[in-house]
Amino acid sequence: MNKFKQLLAFLIIILFSTNLYAGASDEVNTSSDDFETSVFEDEIYDPLEGINRAVFGFNNVADKIILEPAAKGYKKLPSPIQSGIGNFINNLKLPLVAFNQLLQGQGKNAAESTGRFIVNSTVGIFGLIDVADDFGLEQKEEDFGQTLATWGVGDGFYVVLPLFGPSNLRDTTGMVMTMMTDPVNSYVTREGESWIIPFKTAANAVDQRSKIIDEVNALRDNSVDYYAAVRSSYYQNRKAAIMNTDDDVLTPLPLISIEFE
Amino acid sequence: MHFFRILIFLFTFSISLNLFANEAKDWLKTEIDKIIYAYQNNNLPSENRFLMIEQTINNNFAGSGIAKFVAGKSWNGASKDTKKEYIKLFKRHLALNIASMMQGYSNQNYELTNSNYDEKNKVSLINMEIYSDTGSIQVTWRVKKSKDRYFVIDLLVADISLVVTKRSEFNSMLKTVDYSLDKFNEKLIAQNDLSYSKLLN
Repeated sequence: MNKFKQLLAFLIIILFSTNLYAGASDEVNTSSDDFETSVFEDEIYDPLEGINRAVFGFNNVADKIILEPAAKGYKKLPSPIQSGIGNFINNLKLPLVAFNQLLQGQGKNAAESTGRFIVNSTVGIFGLIDVADDFGLEQKEEDFGQTLATWGVGDGFYVVLPLFGPSNLRDTTGMVMTMMTDPVNSYVTREGESWIIPFKTAANAVDQRSKIIDEVNALRDNSVDYYAAVRSSYYQNRKAAIMNTDDDVLTPLPLISIEFE
Repeated sequence: MHFFRILIFLFTFSISLNLFANEAKDWLKTEIDKIIYAYQNNNLPSENRFLMIEQTINNNFAGSGIAKFVAGKSWNGASKDTKKEYIKLFKRHLALNIASMMQGYSNQNYELTNSNYDEKNKVSLINMEIYSDTGSIQVTWRVKKSKDRYFVIDLLVADISLVVTKRSEFNSMLKTVDYSLDKFNEKLIAQNDLSYSKLLN
């Protein structure tokens, strides 16, 4: 436990020490004189771009030969089985989601997530059936990366993690914190069944990937720079998750001129 | 009395905003159905199918405006002919992107769930839910009215803006050619050819 606290403190110190520098670098704005738009963040702080591109290339190959075929195979399973697996994995995440909601001061959401966990784990047969949704207890995602962002921690630099994909310093710290505090991980480790952890991670990756097969293919086939497209998508998606925007009103709005169509 | 006047004003105002949004929603549904129809019509040869979709997209997207926005700071330094060529190439690029994305959705059910009118920016935000057996994905269309007709100015899939992503992607590539739109056009031609062949196969 002491080791864990030391590691946590170390990560938080690194995060805060790079925060000022990274925060300033994240906001490289372009002039809006030449086109009709609000001030826009164009550049993402990516000092490791060379290394990141190499890791991205490796991940892309791994995706094409392992993850995508696995996701396509998974999509061929009967839909109740797919839903069941997805629901079961999502249900296991709920205790940490509720904890992060509490850390972000979202008491009502934390209560809803706890309610979801109890209902789905009991009536929903160990989380296989999402009964809670019918009771109006919606699925919401919160993680340590989002919590740190809510506490004012900046993105830090962009990083592509081997197999895990796009991230940044803050979200990577959040991911490590999730791995170390996940009650499921702690339980299976205590029981001497640690093999379940990578299995659970892989199952989650296949389930998530199966939901975006068309979107990833469209992006991959039509990008002049696939790396930059994924990087931008990652930042937009995280920004929306941190701001909890569902209705896209708060997403940056490019004001496109249409006078000369 | 004053309170009631304000109430009536607010009520009328909100109804008029709603009308704007609903009108845009009806227009959008017609245009999306044209694209879906092109995919569902098995008698159409692939080339003709894409031409039909490209035409629908070019007629309804603010292609030139988006092209200019996406080019960022390289726009000002380019000659008139380069800009013209770039806009032509960008419109095809946009059509290939949308066509590729819609191809994946063509056998799924969709519903335009709700629409809002953003009075400040004069933009309608129309949400579309695309359903599959195991869940759904939300797509948001940003639509703007100009000279009595509507134009799509952006498309968001799961909170990710197509236009913002394209701008970031183009900026990254433009950096490698010293922000020369002329040199970038060559890359765009190559990418369009590649995307076109992938779409047809």
